[in-house]
Amino acid sequence: MKFIKNHLTFIFPMMAILLGVEFFLVFDRTTDSYEYGLKEGYSMFVVANKALELDDFKRLNKHISQREEIDKEALATQISKGVNQSNSKEILKALPYFYNIKLDSYLHSSALKNIQRNLEESDMIKRVETFGNSYTESYKLFSFIKFSLKSFIGFMALVSLLLIIKQMEIWKYAHKERMQVMEIFGASLMLRSGVLFRVAIIDAIISTFLTSGIFLGLKYQWAQESHIDILMQKQNLLFQSNDFLILLGISLLIVIVSVYLVVFGTRGSSQ
Amino acid sequence: MPSNFVINASHLTLSYGETEIIKDASFSVKKGEFVFITGPSGSGKSTLLKSLYGQIEPTDGSLIVGGLDMATISTGKLQDLRTHLGIIFQDYKLINEWTVAKNVILPLMIAGYSVDVQETQAERLLKHVKLATHKDRYPLELSGGEQQRVGVARALAKNPFLILADEPTGNLDEYSSNVIWDLMENACEQLNTTVLVVTHRIPSIFSNPYRHFIIEGKGIYEVH
Repeated sequence: MKFIKNHLTFIFPMMAILLGVEFFLVFDRTTDSYEYGLKEGYSMFVVANKALELDDFKRLNKHISQREEIDKEALATQISKGVNQSNSKEILKALPYFYNIKLDSYLHSSALKNIQRNLEESDMIKRVETFGNSYTESYKLFSFIKFSLKSFIGFMALVSLLLIIKQMEIWKYAHKERMQVMEIFGASLMLRSGVLFRVAIIDAIISTFLTSGIFLGLKYQWAQESHIDILMQKQNLLFQSNDFLILLGISLLIVIVSVYLVVFGTRGSSQ
Repeated sequence: MPSNFVINASHLTLSYGETEIIKDASFSVKKGEFVFITGPSGSGKSTLLKSLYGQIEPTDGSLIVGGLDMATISTGKLQDLRTHLGIIFQDYKLINEWTVAKNVILPLMIAGYSVDVQETQAERLLKHVKLATHKDRYPLELSGGEQQRVGVARALAKNPFLILADEPTGNLDEYSSNVIWDLMENACEQLNTTVLVVTHRIPSIFSNPYRHFIIEGKGIYEVH
């Protein structure tokens, strides 16, 4: 019973960290498509003195990724309804060039202002219109959710790491005599902490499998039966094969860091 | 310092915090000698022994063990030195979760010897201390005398140039004590290993010529 308790007090905090990490990975992946939607839905309307190519826009700001020219002839036709053809040609000639431009990524409102300023500073451009209000609101809300989630996961990870270190100290105490004897006979720090590494690595692997199992269960069982649209549509994003390696890597890193934090405190302890 | 000196202490002072345990002591031990250091309880015998395997740094003076200055020795060099020492403790300091054989080969494991060499050496050493049939047992299944024989076998595992023994027979009956003394005498005579024993009194059965130091009033003096 004590043996199981000893291991669970390591496995549970480790799982809390890994669940946090995996939850963040899933959140990041699912919100990527939301970010893409926001980005795609956003555009700037530019009125230019002359015809501009995409490269001309890119020279003004590197975040501009697409340029879509608005058909001047259609506009001229609309304007010149009931006017004779020669006047219609004059109208077409007098009209400036209209463009919708799109951006390469989901940008902060200050970056958007910067793009607008760059465009307005150009002699080739007469006017720039942005549809920033709804974008900024969405951006702020989205950033707040992301920040809150990151803070919560970070705080949970810190508390869990402290619990892991505490458990490691208990193990160190349990194996103190063995480590002291090995130290007296000249074992290196690495060798004498081998027992801690072995126990912790096994528990880290168990934690990784359990966390992966929970998310695989969510992906293949719960998501399908949940009837929640977003989960059913984004089911493939819930757990990916790379995630297992990421979780394993993080759990092993935590083991190495915590063993060293605990063992470095025992130098010369065999006096 | 002539190279045949294994230990050379000069004006050595050892302290725990502000308390001086050994003060301004000078002595040396040559290769192949069997040396006793005696003194009453609390006189600093164990402290002196700990300084010889680098567990305590000299506060003042110099202490050279195997050609290495224990005041300035690096962690790496100290680890290396310890792999060439055989250390025997009154409370045996065996690892109870390990079998007798695994305990014996600990110095060989630390030095990175192959499993084959470790197994061969374990058999040879356990035969030498007459515990060949106990190799798969655990220390707590053995008597005190048997556990100390395991301790001696472990100390001899890597053919050390110096054996340090801290009250090695302090917890043993007379018969078991004599077995341990025999083993250490043999190591000294047959392998030319230097043996330094700290004990509160020299065993009466000890017949061979030996050097004897006494710790008294924080100093170390040779008894002639």
